[in-house]
Amino acid sequence: MPLFFPQEDASDVRRRYKPDVIKGDMDSIRREVLEFYASLGTEIVDKSHDQDTTDLHKCVTYIRDSASGLDKSNLCVLVVGALGGRFDHEMGNLNVICRFSSMRIVLLSNDSLIHLLPRTYCHEIHIQTSVEGPHCGLIPIGTPSKSSTTTGLQWDLNNTAMEFGGLVSTSNIVKEEKVTVQSDCDLLWTISIKKL
Amino acid sequence: MDLMHHSSTFLLPTIPLHHRPSLTYALVVLNQTLPRFAPLLWKHAQLRLCADGGANRVFDEMPLLFPEEDASDVRRRYKPDVINGDMDSIRKEVLDFYRSLGTKIIDKSHDQDTTDLHKCITYIWDFAPDANKSSLCILVAGALGGRYDHEMGNLNVLYCFSSLRIVLLSDDSLIYLLPRTHHHEIHIQTSVEGPHCGLIPIGVPSRSSTTTGLQWNLNNTEMRFGGLISSSNIVVGEKVTVQSDTDLLWTISIKKL
Repeated sequence: MPLFFPQEDASDVRRRYKPDVIKGDMDSIRREVLEFYASLGTEIVDKSHDQDTTDLHKCVTYIRDSASGLDKSNLCVLVVGALGGRFDHEMGNLNVICRFSSMRIVLLSNDSLIHLLPRTYCHEIHIQTSVEGPHCGLIPIGTPSKSSTTTGLQWDLNNTAMEFGGLVSTSNIVKEEKVTVQSDCDLLWTISIKKL
Repeated sequence: MDLMHHSSTFLLPTIPLHHRPSLTYALVVLNQTLPRFAPLLWKHAQLRLCADGGANRVFDEMPLLFPEEDASDVRRRYKPDVINGDMDSIRKEVLDFYRSLGTKIIDKSHDQDTTDLHKCITYIWDFAPDANKSSLCILVAGALGGRYDHEMGNLNVLYCFSSLRIVLLSDDSLIYLLPRTHHHEIHIQTSVEGPHCGLIPIGVPSRSSTTTGLQWNLNNTEMRFGGLISSSNIVVGEKVTVQSDTDLLWTISIKKL
């Protein structure tokens, strides 16, 4: 965080950007970092005994079940750093959004964002053209889709089947400010983030 | 069911002479930062292709991996055999440079239906005699990272060409397909890869997968997105076996040397 504010004093920046919670199995956090935030009042939730779920899974569970003072009626979880690095981690993070399919969870990198479009709904995606697009894709990550239909894309789907090994909608382009999607299976929506 | 052997010998400084299976390597460079072991992959490959902007990467970044040498010498030494793609990313001076050195330029700008990687794989497929296809292994640098729809398109290429050995490589991981048509033996090169690994059922749920050699082995276990997938697993020992009712992606971490 201090690197984003090079003209400011690093300690001031660190105090301003103090996490509410640090959670996980604690095998990566540096001791001085843990102590710094603990001394500022950050809640430390040590889940080192739980090796069955990823750190992201633990955090999403915490947000869903435990976080007090949070209005959960319209919750959206933004995740930074879910992509890149070890590929098995990245897939584990994708799986978290598939497992918590009733929650809004957005995975973000410098280049793209990803979220799930559950099959239980028709979807309207309002494109914020100043910050995202035009490159996009729809990915049948877990099961083949026998039928998906879209509007608003350069290459729309029309009751089209999609599956790995066959057609997967990548390198598509948003053409309008509203994209609609309906499908018989959960799809991943991904769109490029503009370099501003 | 036939056995298929896998081994990441392309990450070793030299490939042991009597190593089986004996494979011929081709290298495809996509438009992402070159992995630090790119010169090693280049050395093992008999055919080197750049997919469009991948040529920019070789031109700009190979000299950075040899900072004590003259950049022009490095560029001449690391000259791709082919540049293939829709040519919307490659810089003109890079294209002219390699063309003047004799690189074959294949302009597929009229073809907007397939990704640049797909075009390169098709080229290699058409280029390799049938007899040699089963001993061919295509190494792909730069398939991960960047735009996520590109990454997914690159993963899909593994499924579209499931009878070809294709390995996607980044600085951190390698990935390849384990087709359901075979039992698999993966010989772990512990000096360069592991221990973190995973088996990923992309695209279709697996009703039954079985492994040996992992910390958390599967035993007729179901896997699917939204349920269990095998990530953050650990290789124990030097041989992993896998069999499954569906195509699985195998991924293993690459050691920082």
